[in-house]
Formats: sequence, C-alpha cells, structure tokens
Amino acid sequence: MTRLLHSRRAFLGRLAAAWPAMAIVRLAHASAVEELRTDSRTLAALGESVLPSALGSTGVDAVVGDFRRWMSGYREEAEILHGYGTSKLEYAGPTPATRWMAQLDALERRARARHRSAFGELSIDQRRALVREVLIGEKLDGMPAVVRAPHVAVALLSHFYGSSAATDLCYKADIGRDQCRPLGTSTRKPLPIAARG
Amino acid sequence: MPPAAGPRVIESDVCIIGSGISAAMVADRLARTTGASVVVAEAGDDVPSLHHRPALRDRFLRYGESPWPADHLEGYEIEGPLQSRSMQVGGLAMHWGGVTPRFSPEDFRLRSLYGVGSDWPVSYDELEPWYQEAEEVMGVAGEQGPIDMDPRQKPFPMPPLPLTYNLAQLKEWASGAGIAMWSQPSAKNSLPYRGRAACCRNDTCTPICPVGAKYSPDFTWTPLRRSGRVTMHPRVLVRRLVLDRRSMRVSHAEAVRRDRNSTPLEFHARLFVVAGGYVWSSHLLLLSASSRAPTGIANRSGLVGRYLAGHRNVQAFVALPRRLYPGMNGQHSLVTKQFMRTAPRADGRYLRHDLRVWESSVGRTPRLRNDAGELMLGDEILHDWRARTLGGTARVRAYYDVIPDRDSALTLDGRRRNHHGDPLPALAFRDASESAALREWSEGQIRGLIEGMARSGRVR
Repeated sequence: MTRLLHSRRAFLGRLAAAWPAMAIVRLAHASAVEELRTDSRTLAALGESVLPSALGSTGVDAVVGDFRRWMSGYREEAEILHGYGTSKLEYAGPTPATRWMAQLDALERRARARHRSAFGELSIDQRRALVREVLIGEKLDGMPAVVRAPHVAVALLSHFYGSSAATDLCYKADIGRDQCRPLGTSTRKPLPIAARG
Repeated sequence: MPPAAGPRVIESDVCIIGSGISAAMVADRLARTTGASVVVAEAGDDVPSLHHRPALRDRFLRYGESPWPADHLEGYEIEGPLQSRSMQVGGLAMHWGGVTPRFSPEDFRLRSLYGVGSDWPVSYDELEPWYQEAEEVMGVAGEQGPIDMDPRQKPFPMPPLPLTYNLAQLKEWASGAGIAMWSQPSAKNSLPYRGRAACCRNDTCTPICPVGAKYSPDFTWTPLRRSGRVTMHPRVLVRRLVLDRRSMRVSHAEAVRRDRNSTPLEFHARLFVVAGGYVWSSHLLLLSASSRAPTGIANRSGLVGRYLAGHRNVQAFVALPRRLYPGMNGQHSLVTKQFMRTAPRADGRYLRHDLRVWESSVGRTPRLRNDAGELMLGDEILHDWRARTLGGTARVRAYYDVIPDRDSALTLDGRRRNHHGDPLPALAFRDASESAALREWSEGQIRGLIEGMARSGRVR
C-alpha cells in the first residue's frame, strides 16, 4: 500500500512540476500531505537522527506525530498576522509538504545509492552524515520558521525547538511557556523537572 | 416608474463613528449616565466571540495565522507608516498589548517647563479623574510607584500583576544601577474582574488573549448591545459628515453598507462622536470638506491631521550573569518614570523617556550551527543551547519624547482612492526642529544609560 501511494504521489508530483495546472498541483499537495500524515518511515527515521536523545523513542514519536499534525493542519492562503507599522497583508503560501516529501524521497535514494539500504535501516551516524550532506551550502544559523525551512530535517528541528516542551527540556524546568498557568506561581523559580539528558 | 429609494435613515441621540477603545469608553459612560439612544457605525466586521479565541490563538502559535482574519478593508494600502491595518469592532485594541501608562504631569507643560512643544489647555490634575474612570472600566492592574514619580488620587482598580521570578531578578539588577522600577500597569486582570477571568500567563496578549483577562472593547460592547443600550452597525463605512444647513453643526453622516452592494445609509443624530483612531478620525474630518468647510469639518484651525506623533524608542538586549527562564510571562514588564519626571537639564537640552525592561530570549535560542560554523544535529543542538542559557538576557527599551513638526501630518492622497472613489490618507512623520536636532544626542544618552546598566549587571 505504501509503495502504491508513494508511486501515485511521485507521479502526481512529477506531473505537477511538468504541467502546473491548479487542480494537479492541489492533488500533488494533498497526496504529499496524506503520506506525511499516515506513513512516512523516512520521516520517523529522520526524527530519530536529528532530535535529541533525551526525548527517548516515545518523545521522538510524539514530536514526529505532532509534526505530521502540523502538516495536516496547514492552510494555504490563510491570512498571516499583519505586522505593526505596515498596511501590507500576507497570506500563507503553498503547503511545504510537497517539497518536503521530495526531500525525504531524495534521502531514501541517497541511502540506497550509498549504503544499498533504506534510510531507516542505517545507523544514526550514517543517517546524520547523509543529512549533513544534503544541508551543505544551506545558509543556516538560527532555527527558521517551520514553513520557511529549506529542508524537511530543518523543519522538523524548528518544529520541535520552537515548542514549549523544548524550552522546558533545555532549562530542565517546568516553565510551561504558551500554557495557561496561575499568576501566583510565577513569582518563584520554575520547578525543576526530572533530569533528562 | 417609482421614484428611486433614498438612503435608509437611522436616527439616534448620539452617533459614534468607530468602535475602538475610545468609542467604547464614550458609549459606556453615556449608557451609565444618560438615557441617550446610541448607535455606532463601524467599517469593519464583528469579531469572533471569546469562546473561539483559544482555537484562534492556537492557529497563531502553530502557523502564525492572524487570529483576527479579515480585520481590514480591501483596497486600503496607504502611503506611510500605518500602525496597523486592523479595522473591526473593537478596533486596534482587539490586539493591543494592554499596557496602560498615563501621561506624566510634565507632559502637559512642555513649553513652560522645558521650552519645547506646547502646553496643553488642561492639566494632569484635571485629567486625572478621567484616567481613573477609564482604568476602572477597563480593569487596570497596577502597582503604585514611588509617589513622586507616579501621582495618583486613587488606587488602581486591581492589585498589580505579580513580578515573575525573572522580573524580580531584573528589578534587582536595575536597582543596582540606581533605577527604581515597578510592575507596568496593564489592562489585564490580576483577579477576576467584572465577569472576566484572571490572567493565566498565556503570554499572547498581543495579538490575542484566549481567556478574556486582557481588556478589549468587545467586553464593553457585548453587554451594551445585548441590553439594547447601543445599536452597533458593523460593516458600515462612514464616508462624509454633512453640516446642518443653518449652522456649523453636523446634521448627519453619509455611509454605505459594505455587505449590501454599497447601499447608502444616513445617520442622523443630535451629537456625533468621531472615534476612528489616529488615522481614520482625521481622515473622515478632512474628507468632509465642503463649500462651507473648505478644509474639512472641525478644521478652522487647519490642525486636523497635523502634529502626527509616534512613539520612537531605543532598544537594547543586555546579557546578564543571572539565569532567567524566558517564557514565564514575557509580555509583562517593569517600568520607571524616573527619566520622564525629570527636571529641566542645566544645558537646556530636552530628553525624557519611559524606560521599560522585559525578560528576553534573544541570544539564547537554539541554533543549528556552533561558533565554529559547524552544523549541529541530535544532542549537539541541545547541549549548545543549554550552555548558552546559563545566563539571561534583558530587553531594555526607552520610549523617548519626540516633538512632532506641524507638517508631521495625515493628508488626503489624491493618487490612491478606495472603492467609493474617496482619497485614502497618506501619513508622513516629521520631527520638529528641536527634536530633530537632538535625535542623535538623545539616542546616545539612552544608549549610554543602558551601557551603564549593563556594566552594573556584570558586577555581582
């Protein structure tokens, strides 16, 4: 089933690139989103390779799962918060899922060409080496906005490191940014969370 | 053939144009103190109700989407630094930060005290009860600052938002630099207030509070509309005020319904309140020019739209050898009036500013490359991030007083028009000569102050 879906998506992606009619582009996007949402083993394997080990396998699965939900929930042409001091309006662009799926496919091809093995069957170090190769030449420093990430590996990292959970993990403290928390407890130092990592 | 129908006429005692925070304050007072019938004409749409806001906030956090979609009119791309495109029931204050500083007494006597700008025709003492009333309507939580810096006749309606652990650290730091700071007064509930919840540090005051702890004008409009004390007409664009034939009073306002093929409407009232904010009020008055009021309504002085002022600031991020925990309540801040309530300088140069301090994560966010420029993956990113968060960062910002020039102005832009053919406004800010001459020096003084604070912070 996965291979069939993959083939259909790859076909639609190539068709959309060659003949970018709106209906075909939408189909290609929807197909990419569907595969990311339901079953991308490469994405899961990528998560294991780039996310911190302190998350454990359950934590990595949760982050990858939330990234999939993020992708499913993305709304093209949604109005973006307009800035302060300008009359310019901005709208969300096309879903990044299509290019991210193509990048996952490229990682698979690279894994098979280099190691004759699926990306997910490589060691963590081998996977990281492949990710480093594909990111050579990218201008990266801080975490970009998820939607502007030049590569799906960076998008996944940005998605995680932009979260409240990542901040708590960094500080090993229950800050709970973005969450509804009593005002009264803000006067004391955030409670430490069980040491992880 | 039947005669063409004229515009629909809506009559009331008072017609308020605009529905932002000033309009809400006026309507609230009229409802409390008079029996007047009040109608409100608002060009923008109604806003989503409170129970939709958690979901709207979530979309904002995850995708950067506007929690107030369609809060603007199409075709209103204007020339100049418009503060916000937002136009909706509640106005800009639907996504304000909820910060409620008062002017200082000196602001009303600039010419007398400092030899710049103009004195106001009213004093702080005369305005003070009205500040208090507005603070009670909104629900302002505040800390009484040192009495010589923070004059008040009555206490704040609510106790202050508590200083977070971070802000307490930063207050101690500022104190070490000789600066007395306290909790910034804010229209955010430190306790449940008038049916609205207490703040629970969701920390998205701008652009949206999901629990209603931050005051926004819809909390005034909703009960007034439900009780029938106010009739709101959203999606109604007032295009022109028309003078009474026998006097210089406004007899009616010409408007169109945006959602019904621009159906014309007329608002007739004994009293009109123009409350469209710093852009649209002046714009409407200028648009209403006629043969009897050739420069616009209420503009015999020629000052409508002039002396446009912004709030310029100098900002810096200061690295401190104190561990802070960004995200505890990042939109709340410390403030001081120490540099606003200042005596004239011996050298005659004018500088006053409100200094504010926030927690910040600048310089302490995760990154993908280390100092050597090497790409990091896996645990490397987390270890690098942890090493860079052993200290903290303070955001320091000074809003300094700038005297606007007479030609710092909103004018009608003959090149850009809305769908009805009315000229759009153009904004052009310009400093008065006394401020322009001092700009470099003023900003240098503030930078020097912040550098001094930074030095004191390094010594513990």
